[in-house]
Amino acid sequence: MRVFSDLMWFFKQEKKAYLTGVILLLFVAFFQLIPPRVIGVFVDHIKNGTLTLKGMLIWIGVLVASAAIMYILRYYWRIMIFGSAVKLSRLLRNKLYHHFTKMSPSFYQKKRVGDLMAHATNDLQAIQQTAGSGVLTLVDSLATGGFVIIAMATTISWKLTLICLIPMPLMAILTSWYGTMLHKRFHKAQEAFSSLNDKTQESVSGIKVIKTFGQEKEDIEDFRKQSEDVVEKNISVAKIDSLFDPTISLIVGISYFLSIVFGAKFVLNDELTIGQLVSFTTYLGLLIWPMLAFGWLFNIVERGRASNDRVTALLAEKIDIPDDLEALEEVPSGDIEYRLTEFVYPDENEPVLQNIHFTLKQGQTLGIVGKTGAGKTSLLKLLLREFEGFDGSIQFAGHPLSEYRIESLREALGYVPQDHFLFSATVAENIAFTNPFAELSEVYDAARTAHIHEDILQFTEGYETVVGERGVSLSGGQKQRISIARALMMNPEVLILDDSLSAVDAKTEEDILTALKQNRTGKTTIITAHRLSAIQHSDLIIVLDEGSIVQSGNHERLMLENGWYKEMYLHQQLEEIVEHGGS
Amino acid sequence: MDKTPEIKGKDQKKILFRLLSYTKPHMKTIILAFCLLLITTVGDILGPILIKVFIDDYLTPRNLVFEPLFALAAAYIGIQIMNVLVSYFQLLKFQEIALKIIQQLRVDVFSKVQKLGLKYFDQTPAGSIVSRVTNDTEAIKDMFVSVLVTFIQGAFLIIGIFIAMFILNVKLALFCLLILPLLFLIMRAYRKYSSIFYQNLRERLSQLNAKLSESLQGMAIIQVFRQERRLRKEFGDINEQHYQAGMRNIKIDGLLLRPAIDLVYVFAIILVLSFFGITSFSSPVEIGVLYAFVSYLDRFFEPVNNMMQRLSMYQQAIVAASRVFILIDETELAPAQQADKTSKIADGEIEFHNVSFSYDKQRDVLKNISFTAKPGETVALVGHTGSGKSSIINLMMRFYEFERGDILIDGKSIKLYSEDEIRTRMGLVLQDPFLFYGTIKDNIRLHNLEMTDEEVEEAAQFVQAHLFIEKLDDGYSHKVVERGSTFSSGQRQLLAFARTIAANPKILILDEATANIDTETEEAIQLALEKMRKGRTTIAIAHRLSTIQDAELILVLHQGEIVERGNHQELLAKRGLYHKMYLLQNSAVERVEDVVS
Repeated sequence: MRVFSDLMWFFKQEKKAYLTGVILLLFVAFFQLIPPRVIGVFVDHIKNGTLTLKGMLIWIGVLVASAAIMYILRYYWRIMIFGSAVKLSRLLRNKLYHHFTKMSPSFYQKKRVGDLMAHATNDLQAIQQTAGSGVLTLVDSLATGGFVIIAMATTISWKLTLICLIPMPLMAILTSWYGTMLHKRFHKAQEAFSSLNDKTQESVSGIKVIKTFGQEKEDIEDFRKQSEDVVEKNISVAKIDSLFDPTISLIVGISYFLSIVFGAKFVLNDELTIGQLVSFTTYLGLLIWPMLAFGWLFNIVERGRASNDRVTALLAEKIDIPDDLEALEEVPSGDIEYRLTEFVYPDENEPVLQNIHFTLKQGQTLGIVGKTGAGKTSLLKLLLREFEGFDGSIQFAGHPLSEYRIESLREALGYVPQDHFLFSATVAENIAFTNPFAELSEVYDAARTAHIHEDILQFTEGYETVVGERGVSLSGGQKQRISIARALMMNPEVLILDDSLSAVDAKTEEDILTALKQNRTGKTTIITAHRLSAIQHSDLIIVLDEGSIVQSGNHERLMLENGWYKEMYLHQQLEEIVEHGGS
Repeated sequence: MDKTPEIKGKDQKKILFRLLSYTKPHMKTIILAFCLLLITTVGDILGPILIKVFIDDYLTPRNLVFEPLFALAAAYIGIQIMNVLVSYFQLLKFQEIALKIIQQLRVDVFSKVQKLGLKYFDQTPAGSIVSRVTNDTEAIKDMFVSVLVTFIQGAFLIIGIFIAMFILNVKLALFCLLILPLLFLIMRAYRKYSSIFYQNLRERLSQLNAKLSESLQGMAIIQVFRQERRLRKEFGDINEQHYQAGMRNIKIDGLLLRPAIDLVYVFAIILVLSFFGITSFSSPVEIGVLYAFVSYLDRFFEPVNNMMQRLSMYQQAIVAASRVFILIDETELAPAQQADKTSKIADGEIEFHNVSFSYDKQRDVLKNISFTAKPGETVALVGHTGSGKSSIINLMMRFYEFERGDILIDGKSIKLYSEDEIRTRMGLVLQDPFLFYGTIKDNIRLHNLEMTDEEVEEAAQFVQAHLFIEKLDDGYSHKVVERGSTFSSGQRQLLAFARTIAANPKILILDEATANIDTETEEAIQLALEKMRKGRTTIAIAHRLSTIQDAELILVLHQGEIVERGNHQELLAKRGLYHKMYLLQNSAVERVEDVVS
């Protein structure tokens, strides 16, 4: 029940709606008592022959009125309580999204997208249920249950009430117990289902391999086995699930039996009229729901609490790179200067970067090369301020990065990441990502510079073709070039190509580099690459190895040194010479 | 996101019947379940009648004889207990049947997916295929488990109650029949409106989730490009629409669901009371009958409420089923073989004879391709992206059907070999070596369980993969996570080689990996390739011209045509496209030469 106090802030915020809803519920609970009572009165009148037409009409009028009122009240409490619950999930969902947009990459390194999605969907649903059905069940079961018991005890017979209530708590206990068991088994069934889902996903993604090896039949067999497992787990759920109805009807049956047996005794002793007995059994029918509801309530609340705790914890995660209060508003433009002693990723021990010292003059091109894992991307991530907490300083236009507002800093940087991610939107929208209102001609220009314009025109719907996860699939090279166009759209002070030419062929690579050179005079460019041809013409080339600069200079100078660069370069060239027949 | 077309009543019925046809194999169990259901229904109906007998025959006349009363009580309790047992098995049986039906449906869809041609996979996002197989069938399961079962049970109970009512009092039972059209009207109205609103809500939810999932995946991009504020607003807008849709649903539920049914309940009570009241003016009334009617009405509305609440599930399931059936009826099948069983690939000679091909029947990606690869020879395909290299492989592997020209293997059309023969004799190594969840061993032998551990290891040794596998903890039993993301792309490539070699094909088809292979693995890969090609006819796509210098034949492709052909030296001497490509890859050759010599 703690979750209700955890959610108190929201109940307070929606005080009016909840109070109205609860009051309406209480009224409904009260009006519910009328029909059984009227039935009892009718029975007695009929039995005693005292029913008059007028009396009958009055009672029927009472019934009609109470039915109409209940209908209206029931409608409105739903709007009040369920409506507020939906509001809560809307609120939390927006909060979460807002929070997500503020978290830095180190957060996303720790969490999996699937888990975050689960928080925003399943957990919010559970919380919504607590704030809606949970509140309803609590109030309604207490109110209906209480009112009915009071009505039974005061207007009919407290003795009979006590007797009939004996088996009822058993129902609440049993159903709640089934509920926990069901939950566990359901969880297992869910797991089996999700592994079936993974299996299917894998088969679809790997369809070419399966077809290549002619393994379709075997794969279907494997699928059959896994789906049988799903069935098995679900049957074990069904075994518990099927217990609910019979248990309830057994206990209700016993209760009815007790009420008839003892009620009859009271009737014979003239402690009770037959009409009262009939009313009593009808009241008994009204008690089933609150008892059941109590069993459910525990499950709803338990799930709601766990979910609320998870969401609260998520929202409490600190934003690790906040802006300084007096941060510079201006967009930096100038030289970039690295004076870095050491950088270690959060939660890791080994430094990824050490002693990085270099100056990149405005308008120059920097090439960064080195083996995979040498620290190329990490070096860029620091410039983008995706990570902080390094020793030393990185200055941009004479100020340390941290003195700029993140937004201003990033306005100067056009980043083309290694994993070219496109959104499920049209090509034009993807390119114009930074400025949705950009002229189409600007989009075309950017696409031309990135050498993707012709490709796009070949698409069935040209620039209006939807790409991304839910659109047409593009080749790696096409995606890379669209990402480049996207970065070019902001005409950034510094363009950063993080191994972004790996999937295009040599000719296109050269074309793009030439076009960049022409279009970006006076602007800075940083390129990391595996293929040396991509950085060969840079003003400054640095070679990284295990996080340190082992060589730096331009191509010509590096070729004079005996080091990794020359070795690598020659390694690539040597093969070609051998092909020439060794001459 | 899947667009959900509106389904007309007639089609709905068709879909429902098609779903129901899946029950056929389970007829016996179903009949058993129905018998059990019949027993429980009779038990449910008998309770109030017994009490009615007690009230009218014993309580009202104050006629208390022990023996018949004891019998009555014993019967009541006995029926209750029997009912509990029988209804438990009945409920369980129905769920079991439903689950088994879905299992069959799932296997059917999945088998169908395996039979589809790659063209289908190109046009359909993987996610939506997966959701046909799992999520949609899950929605249908919910329908079978909750909706159908609830409806059948509800229908039985309602019919049972009416039979009991007719036995007790024909006239009043006739009056009570009036409730049915009223309920029917409410149900129809609810179905009509809720299906619209509910559909809307689901669509909004899936939009919301799609937006969220995409934002999470692309968060780095959003942040680097400073679009947080814009996307927050976009998300907020979708969230608001979802909220509005949610509210509309609450309203329609409030108007037509439980509150409405409760209203009808009171109306029914009024009917019964008036009837007895009016009757009582002229003749005596059996109180027990009144009790029984009231108590039947109490029970009557529970299944009605359940049924109403499940209507939306029905709607969803029909939509899901229509999508599943569209997939099952999909005609974009994998190319069929006109196999005569005797055709065997012995030498591995490959001949392309005037092959032209188009994916979309508009633009030819291959134009009059002809070449021959003699047994044991290597033919290399070069050309830049989009030149048609991969299409040649796609046709050879029979991933796509072609109509113009022919591909001959050992002098016979490729279409005449059985699929099995093609798959076992031709080994393809993909550019992106896809690894499955499981162990290294599993990934090399795939589903071929006869392959011994020794054979697996042999294959790995042959392709130089053994060295790195050995270093892993658990060696060959090392776990491969999703898509093998813990291995470098070079290592993945080596595993893919091992997998191909383990199958020992006669013809080898290689799609060279393009980028990001570290030098050490690169050497192992080159060595492995050399060994693999020995004694096998090989068709290779090469991105680095250096890897194919010893190929017997190099085909230079440009826009779907072979523009140059010959071996490495011949092509260089031609000083054509190949020579240009070669120079581009080696733009600093002269200087290197200086350095070296």
